[in-house]
Amino acid sequence: MRALAPLLPAACLAFFLFFGGCGGGGGGSTLTVLAASSLTEALGRYAGQFRGADVRTSFAGSDQLAAQIRQGAPADVFASADTEYPRRLYREGLVEKPRVFARNRLVLVAARDSGIGSLAALGEAGVKIAIGDGSVPVGEYTRAVLARLPAAERREILANVRSEEPRVSSVVAKVIDGAADAGFVYRTDAKAAGGEVRTIRLPQRLQPEVAYAVAVVRGGPQMAMARRYLAGLFGGSGAADLRRAGFLPPR
Amino acid sequence: MRPRSPFALFSLLALALALAFLVLPIVAIFADVSPARLIEALGTESAREALWLSLRTTAMAMAIVIAVGTPAAYLVGRRRFRGRALVITAIELPLVVPPAVAGIGLLAALGPRGIFGGALEGTGTELVFETAGVVVALIFVSAPFYLRQAIAAFGALDGRPLEAARTLGAGPFRAFATVAVPSARPGLASGLALAWGHALGEFGATLLFAGSLPGATQTAPLAIFAEFSRPDGFVAALALSAVLIVVAAALLLSVKLLGGDGLGGTRRAR
Amino acid sequence: MSGCLELEATLPLRELTLEVSLEIASGERLALLGRSGAGKTSVLRIVAGLLSPPSGRVSLGEETWLDTAAGLDLPPERRRCGLLFQDYALFPCMKAWRNVAYALPAPAGERRWRALELLERFGIGRRRADALPADLSGGERQRVALARTLAAEPRALLLDEPLSALDPATRARARRELDVLLGALEIPVAIVTHSPEEAEQLADRTALIERGRIAVPS
Repeated sequence: MRALAPLLPAACLAFFLFFGGCGGGGGGSTLTVLAASSLTEALGRYAGQFRGADVRTSFAGSDQLAAQIRQGAPADVFASADTEYPRRLYREGLVEKPRVFARNRLVLVAARDSGIGSLAALGEAGVKIAIGDGSVPVGEYTRAVLARLPAAERREILANVRSEEPRVSSVVAKVIDGAADAGFVYRTDAKAAGGEVRTIRLPQRLQPEVAYAVAVVRGGPQMAMARRYLAGLFGGSGAADLRRAGFLPPR
Repeated sequence: MRPRSPFALFSLLALALALAFLVLPIVAIFADVSPARLIEALGTESAREALWLSLRTTAMAMAIVIAVGTPAAYLVGRRRFRGRALVITAIELPLVVPPAVAGIGLLAALGPRGIFGGALEGTGTELVFETAGVVVALIFVSAPFYLRQAIAAFGALDGRPLEAARTLGAGPFRAFATVAVPSARPGLASGLALAWGHALGEFGATLLFAGSLPGATQTAPLAIFAEFSRPDGFVAALALSAVLIVVAAALLLSVKLLGGDGLGGTRRAR
Repeated sequence: MSGCLELEATLPLRELTLEVSLEIASGERLALLGRSGAGKTSVLRIVAGLLSPPSGRVSLGEETWLDTAAGLDLPPERRRCGLLFQDYALFPCMKAWRNVAYALPAPAGERRWRALELLERFGIGRRRADALPADLSGGERQRVALARTLAAEPRALLLDEPLSALDPATRARARRELDVLLGALEIPVAIVTHSPEEAEQLADRTALIERGRIAVPS
């Protein structure tokens, strides 16, 4: 028994701490928002300002968030980095009709010392590029951009792609870090990275329609509150926070 | 160690290479972050919250893994029964499942729409997006590490002292607790160190099953990734990574030392 | 006085089938003599409850420990049967006195000094009593193991090759000490050995086990 004795106080302490931290769902209303990582700055600030409920926001890749909602995770709002995931969930009857609440732009970011100043430079030999994985919205938008390029240029750029990241923040990280010379990210991410990277705008004709859609998740206990949250995204403090982070208003 | 033969020299070089490779990325993190920045990182509330949450949830997960896993490993480690190989494979399965898939699996089993979702809701237990869910995810991905070591440690025990205990009047549980467990302690400790270290770094399953909610489910690894989405986040992420490494190393070291194996390597019964 | 130890069992072994039947009276010492592989240790294990034969019966006095026909098979901890293992099987993580104290039927506060007292009678002084089994000599380990087995106040005693792990120099003295010790016990004692001299010197009767069968005691 003596061998197990040291474990007992540790286990008791752990138990107490654990149950102390798990207050359950009751006591003051809580709104659970699932949002794409690129919305971290903007919606993080909005959550702090929102009045009427405690907003807790989980930021992750839109594909993971959609998977969670499909499995019945108790979320109230889903804000995706595209329109496709919310649309699919709407068709499956899991969310209300989605609405575009912000637009973003895709930009090219390059490491400060990489010497890359334009899209054309991406095709050169020895350049390392990071893009988003095909299942994440930023990856799809990147491929849309590349699809609009002439075939030869597209092939050269694709040949230089060294990694496909599961989330846009990883693409940013790789470029800041020097693991990649350049990467395709949202304008808002480039803004957040500030002086760590050089931002290169893409020509208007290549720019894909980067629209962020939000929807209220069906079946939750807070649907009325969720709709108020959405309203704030369109014309309240939420809209202001989005603007401040660099998002464009919905058309 | 002065090499005495070509092979000895070769293996020494191989060791040096392996060590350098494994240690380099970790050293690089510290090289990139000044000590001042490290301390600053500890000062932010989100960093402290994340670290504290990581410590609490992994401790709880380990307590459960030890409490349930030790007797289970004893049974599997010492008895031959039909389907034993299958049981061991099942125990090791989470090791080969990608963490994100593990998260989906947990949702499918324990989420609101999952197999046991209804039963859980009946008892009022919330797991998804709750701290309890973090503990569940941690148990799932790290238990196999402990169980594997524990099964091997119990299996390697000399059975005769256990039988002697029985003839001296000890029932199966007393023999297990007072003879088997102390004898297997070094192996159990190393299994615990492995499992705990793994739990501290767990990311994918936690993110999917419990979400990334600061204070409730955003453990240190999740917080590190969240930092990347913030302005000047990269440096903060590095700093938090460095802190996590130090904490993990301290934890691993103390578990191994307390386990009785010492750092000298040779087994000595305490 | 615990009564007579009776054993009847049929046990298939690797190369042969063991069929034994024997009886040991209280205070009597029976030696089981035979070559290795003949099944001697298995006989002891059946009596102790560590091995369950497909068919057999074991009883001590009024108590029945095993009766396959009636579906009765008491686990070892319910039989007060002491077994001295061939390699002593001391608990490696416990000091010598703790090994002995393990089975002492005494309240917690008294266990240490009772164990020390018992070890003293076996010639193990206080300082040696604080040592771990790994740090004891072969002879000391044998005595600690004996002390431990007797501390539990068993109602029957089984000894598996009690002297064979000792070096020849220690063996002679140990045999004399064992002889005196056994003489003072009033319970059935079975001693497994491969040495006819040992059997002669330690036991009242000898039973020969050959090819799974017990030849008529000589």
